[in-house]
Amino acid sequence: MTSSQARYDMLTETSGRRVMVVEGDWTVFTIGPLDKSLRALSSDEAPDAIDVAGLEAFDTAGAYLIDRVLRMHSELVDTPAVLLGDHPNAAHLLETARAAVIRKAEDEPEHASWRAVLERTGRGTMDMVNEALGMLAFVGEAVSTIFRLLLRPQRIRWTSVVSVAEDAGLDALPIVSMLSFFIGLVIAFLGVNLLQQFGAQVFTVEMVGVLMLRELGVVLTAILLAGRTNSAFTAQIGSMKMREEVDAMRVLGLDPMEVLVAPRLLALIVMTPFLTFAAMLSGILGGMIVMWTTLDISPALFIQRIYDTVPGQHFWAGIIKAPFFAMVVGLVGCRQGLLVEGDVQTLGHRTTTSVVQAIFLVIVIDALFALLYLELDI
Amino acid sequence: MSTSPIQDEQGHPIAIRVRGLINQFGEKVVHKDLDLDVREGEIIGVIGPSGCGKSVLLRSIVGLITPKKADIEVFGVNLNETDRAGRRDIEQGWGVMFQDGALFSTLSVRENVMAPMREHLEDMPVSLMRELADMKISMVGLEPDAAGKRPSSLSGGMRKRAALARSIALDPRLLFLDEPTAGLDPISAGNFDTLLRGLADALNLTVFLVTHDLDSLGAVCDRVAVLNRGKVLAVGTLAEVRANPDPWIQDYFSGKRGRAALG
Repeated sequence: MTSSQARYDMLTETSGRRVMVVEGDWTVFTIGPLDKSLRALSSDEAPDAIDVAGLEAFDTAGAYLIDRVLRMHSELVDTPAVLLGDHPNAAHLLETARAAVIRKAEDEPEHASWRAVLERTGRGTMDMVNEALGMLAFVGEAVSTIFRLLLRPQRIRWTSVVSVAEDAGLDALPIVSMLSFFIGLVIAFLGVNLLQQFGAQVFTVEMVGVLMLRELGVVLTAILLAGRTNSAFTAQIGSMKMREEVDAMRVLGLDPMEVLVAPRLLALIVMTPFLTFAAMLSGILGGMIVMWTTLDISPALFIQRIYDTVPGQHFWAGIIKAPFFAMVVGLVGCRQGLLVEGDVQTLGHRTTTSVVQAIFLVIVIDALFALLYLELDI
Repeated sequence: MSTSPIQDEQGHPIAIRVRGLINQFGEKVVHKDLDLDVREGEIIGVIGPSGCGKSVLLRSIVGLITPKKADIEVFGVNLNETDRAGRRDIEQGWGVMFQDGALFSTLSVRENVMAPMREHLEDMPVSLMRELADMKISMVGLEPDAAGKRPSSLSGGMRKRAALARSIALDPRLLFLDEPTAGLDPISAGNFDTLLRGLADALNLTVFLVTHDLDSLGAVCDRVAVLNRGKVLAVGTLAEVRANPDPWIQDYFSGKRGRAALG
């Protein structure tokens, strides 16, 4: 838009009346540079009248700025501005601007910064405590719902259980196996390299076997589920929450715990051990390929050695963790989804929290299991 | 403010002139050779059955949809012949309000109103933007404490007002509203109509109003355009349009709801 610059001039008439002469375009696009100098005016300098004869384009933004100068005279607030000269809509717009600014928002008082630091620390701590309590409450609610459903299995939503099982279980199979396969390869390479220095490279077989069965198979699966399924749960349930579908369910007498949470949990608890089993096998397969290519240990020999030297309890020690991890992933995902509120930002925030929390809890629980096994001598 | 260089037969300056608009989605022809003139300073209400392409017409004018073929002039500038800078100039001169407000949910109401200012005004200090935003918020009848709130914590009616405040942030000459009163209770809708009429008079706005609301038509619109079967069936004052013998128009206005609203 071709626009002329906004200009003003302060004149004092012989009568002592101060007149502000405004010229050019006073619109939202042109007034920016004038703000500073007009803000700096003191109330003695404030004009009594405005000369609008030279004014061209004018809008409410320009009117606001002129009105702000006029309002410096506190006694003028209730009287309309004195205008000199003619302009088609100046008086009208100044009136509009005046009407709109009379009500003024009160700004929040600002606290000293050290107080803000303390406040944030306190708030953060309380958030953590509340989060932990909330999680515990949710676990309790979910577990009781599941037991209630197990007593009356006809109330279980089998369709959604199967659908989630396919989504979160079957569809995750390729990525879980592939990832685990590569980790198996890496471990075997490292093992061969390190143990070679002691001439004990053949023990890589045990290393791959024990690690995969006991720890990595299940932890890898859980972390993948946390990244893949858990975030999907949060996003699904969260967007349902945003569109008030969850409220609609409640009103219709459907318990979201029963309809949304329980099927997801059940499906995950059933599918995760299978995924873990696949992860273990493909990890060991990875190790086997490395041993075959670098040490010429044939697959038959490799399997025989695993049979002889890796006790079955490692397998059970690993696979028993799978349902627990599944619970954690499912619970965190569903809970964060249900905590989503109206706006898009909480959805993003909750999804992030959900993944982080799930991975964190998986590793903490894995450590707890390790302690338990140590005590039990497994 | 200069008036538009183009005029219609009666000598009214024309803000928007649409000629030969054709819109087609797949097999479905939405507009076939549609013509429409919007006069400067008027509030034109665009009505028509659901799916007749009212919103598509609005979107074609503001450029959210590229029509298959169209000559659209806004204040005498043909949109087909403008470059990027010219387009930007024109876009700065209009405000659009979408059906659900389409407020940015991560920003407060004040920040929403400031968003177009931040984008288009390089030399304006942020403090002035805040003040102007607060003025706009007050102009649309929101309480000052609404300025700091997120859109999700506002009621439906307040959200529409906040959206209106954002659409007038740059003091546009032209305002496009897509069913602003849909989903509001009759009292809120009535208040919104009053507000719109007042703002249009105060700011000398030309308003393109897509609506389903018969009360709005009577209360705020200077002229009414009826869209059906891909064309403008009738355009004129409410009384003129009601006198049109077209069966859809007769149905629309003489139905129970039409009679109740317009008497």
